[in-house]
This record gives sequence, structure tokens and C-alpha cells, in this order.
Amino acid sequence: MNDTDFFGLRELFTRNRILLCFNGPISRSLIEEIGNALKNYLQADNAQPSAAMDVFSIYIEMTQNIRHYAIKKGYGEADRSATIIVARDTAGAYLVQAGNMVEEADGKALAARVAELAALDKPALKAAYKEQLRRPRDEGASSGAGLGLIDIARKSSQPLVGRLTPLPNGKAFFSIQAVI
Amino acid sequence: MSQTFILPATQSTPAITADWDAGLLSIAGDSYPENSFDFFTATIEWIQSFLAEGNRPLRLELRLVYMNTSSVKAMMDIFDLLEEAHGRGRAVSVDWLYDPRNERVEMLAEEFREDCSFPFNIIAQA
Repeated sequence: MNDTDFFGLRELFTRNRILLCFNGPISRSLIEEIGNALKNYLQADNAQPSAAMDVFSIYIEMTQNIRHYAIKKGYGEADRSATIIVARDTAGAYLVQAGNMVEEADGKALAARVAELAALDKPALKAAYKEQLRRPRDEGASSGAGLGLIDIARKSSQPLVGRLTPLPNGKAFFSIQAVI
Repeated sequence: MSQTFILPATQSTPAITADWDAGLLSIAGDSYPENSFDFFTATIEWIQSFLAEGNRPLRLELRLVYMNTSSVKAMMDIFDLLEEAHGRGRAVSVDWLYDPRNERVEMLAEEFREDCSFPFNIIAQA
């Protein structure tokens, strides 16, 4: 990348008020370290404690979902990449976005699930959350078993937006955006 | 595991103190491990052993702040054990202490309490 491109990238970050950005293979310890940086940014940004916790919480659910998926699929280092952006919009709200490479069929199912959740109001989302909480864990699953997406939808002040970009070889890039 | 154990906090896991003689389980801090179910297994087993033996009361003192959804799920399993014991007439209780500057913690505790019929106190502590 030459200097002009690099400056252009910086301008892109500035124009979109990006506080934090990550793109690459994600590990458990990286999730924690970036999460720490995020907490510090939010504190320096004078975010309300409740808003700061919502942003952090959405970041954790999104990235842990990506990790669980990559582990379940047995993806290698190269396919374990995640793209994460935390930004502020012009009204001062926080945008949290995360994306990863998925099998196209899984991506379609995910996009449909996100659209389903986006159509629910807060009481319906709470009911869905409690129902999922009561559902027995899948054999061998150590994760939240489907609670993460509902939790993200509950904390987002606007309906979730999911996007699916088809890629060659039956893969797709799935991304999701929440607003706090 | 009829004994006391102490687990120090890490960045993503809370400090846990299980005091067998006092009948007191304390959990404090943030909880967002990737494998919450595995992380809480020892604690769940300790509670099961404690409730299976004798008739002494069990009190949980929680100072949890942020929990990821898999920790919430594990905590629900813990409260289910208490609920079951309560149904059999065992004295069990939860005291959840929170910093009133963060209303999210109070909301989290309130949601847990909705599904519990044993004494469950949510206490603001500056």
C-alpha cells in the first residue's frame, strides 16, 4: 500500500467517525484485548455507563459468535478472520458492526434470523430471549446456544441490519450492525 | 467437593469463593468467558454437593457486573438448582449487590429474579 492509499484509509476512518477497527484472524485473547481497548475508548469518550456496557456487550456477543462458528466449522487460521468496527453516527449514537466469512447456506439462515429479530418489538424480543434461555443446551455446546443474537437485538436501539455478500466457492461474507 | 474453594478473577472471569462451613457462595466481577458452561461446572458441582448434604442454608452473594449470554445461561442453571432446593423446603437465598450508577446490572438481576420464588434481594451499594 502506498502512502496515498494509507492517507485515504485514515480519511475514511475519520469521515466515518470510526473509534476502533479490526480486521484479521481473531483469538480469545485478542477479543479480550480489543474489548479492553474499547472499554477505555468509551470511558475517554464519556459514554454513559449503561451505553458503554451495551456497546461492550454487543461487541462480545458478536465476536464470540464469530469464534464459536469458526471453531464449529473447523476453520483454519485464514478463515478465522473477523472484521469489527465501532463508530459513532452523526447523532452521536454508537454503531457496532462485525462480519465474518460463512458457508453461504449458513449465511442465508443467519440473515433470515436477523430479519426475523429485526421485526420484533422489545417485549417480543424479551419473550424470545426467555424462551431461548429455557431451551436445553445442545449436547457438547459450551456457548450461549442462540442467546447472543437475541441479546444484541434487545440492546440495539434500532432494528438489526444483516448483510450477506456472496463469495466464490459456496462462501459468503455475513455482517451485522447494531446501534446504541 | 465438600470443601471451600477460591478462584481468583481474571479479565473475563469473576472471582468465586465457595465457603462450605459458612454456606456462602460469592461471585464478583465480569463474566464473559468463551466457554462459560465449562467455567461454571466446578461451582455448579459445589452447589449440588452442598444442597445434597444436611439441611444448612445456602446464601449466594453476587457482585456480578457484566455477563455474556453464555454466563447468563450458566447462572440460570445455578438459580434452577436453588429453586428446586427451595421447593423441597431448603433455605436458599440470593443477595445481588450492584453499583446504582449502572442501571444495566439492576435490570439483569431483575430479569433473573422474575423466574425465582426463593428470597432474592437486589441491593444498591454505592
